[in-house]
Amino acid sequence: MKRTPERIERLAAEYALGALQGGARRRFERWMMESWAVRQEVWYWENKLAPLADAVPEEEPPQRVWTAIERRLWPNTVEAPVRRGGLSWLWAGWSLVATAAVLVLAVMLVREPAPQAQGPLLSGAVVQPDVKDPLWLVAETGEPGKLRLRPVAATAPEGQHDYELWVVPADGNPLSLGVIPVGKDSLQITLSPAARAALRASKTLAISLEPKGGSPSGAPTGPILHITKLHELE
Amino acid sequence: MGLLARVAQQDRAAFQALYRQMAGRMFGVCQKLAAQPELAEEALQDAFVRIWHHAGEYHRERGTPLNWMLTIARYRTLDLIRARKVRRTAGDDQLENVADDSLSPLDASMQADGAAALQGCLEELSDTQRDSILLSYYRGLTHEELSVTLSTPIGTVKSWIRRGLQALKRCLER
Repeated sequence: MKRTPERIERLAAEYALGALQGGARRRFERWMMESWAVRQEVWYWENKLAPLADAVPEEEPPQRVWTAIERRLWPNTVEAPVRRGGLSWLWAGWSLVATAAVLVLAVMLVREPAPQAQGPLLSGAVVQPDVKDPLWLVAETGEPGKLRLRPVAATAPEGQHDYELWVVPADGNPLSLGVIPVGKDSLQITLSPAARAALRASKTLAISLEPKGGSPSGAPTGPILHITKLHELE
Repeated sequence: MGLLARVAQQDRAAFQALYRQMAGRMFGVCQKLAAQPELAEEALQDAFVRIWHHAGEYHRERGTPLNWMLTIARYRTLDLIRARKVRRTAGDDQLENVADDSLSPLDASMQADGAAALQGCLEELSDTQRDSILLSYYRGLTHEELSVTLSTPIGTVKSWIRRGLQALKRCLER
């Protein structure tokens, strides 16, 4: 579509109004990225229409909104509220992690030597977008059920805390794999048959922030900092 | 403005103060648009996360800090509504009212305030132009939804909005 001044003027107004949607909205956002003049036209309309928002009555958001914002922005330093049981901790963790895009998943490129006839081994990385290297690498080594966790760019938690690793089953409660290290030492974990079966099925691990020495209750008590999905190495 | 500048320098106390000052105004707008508390809460969260990361991009041309923040909240709410395809059903009171010509689509006081805020320029539009613009702004209705809501062909609705906005601009620039 040609960017005539008339068209820019019309689309900018409709964009600011909210009437543009879908592909048209995205296309116009590209125009905005590419042109200061287009952005200015949008700002003009945003400012002109702004008084309409003044007519909307103020409404106090619930306290949980601020709590959620803090947890998304500073997951390491803000304590999560006590969980209410069931799987709600996981969903809180999911939205925390997923929506904030704190975590993206990456396939580990290093291939461990694969044993014969034992099925594919699981492997993955815990990464964070603003950190160049993965925080931890995790892989089954040698045989299914033996996990090796290697800290790479993970830094020690603040205060009197430890990181704890969990298998997140497809349903049911998370299973602790214990406190995990930062620094140079890898951790070798032998999964219990139950943990192994759960991990096979869900391929999902989570890391939570816990008091020194790990969760006192056997279930995650702190915020879920990371959730990672492992991949099968062929 | 001072607060926003401090937020741009990653000042958490300033961020919290900004939240206390602005969240109510922003949440009102999100609620009005979303008509769904959960979605409005999520949009408000997203908006503030965005504001924390992008405070440095604010400048005067984008309006007052409040307007800038309201705009972020509005757009985020619209995105979420559309991503979820959340739409008020036909049974929604507001939309029933719209279909009934005797009733205004928006409560009268809000419409009056909006008109006053736009220097009386909304008064100069035709009823159909004004209603379709206000429904877009306050309720986030798209062209298609307006067409259904107002039982009017989409082409007509589009031209109401287009002409209405043109007339608004002419009036505002007088």
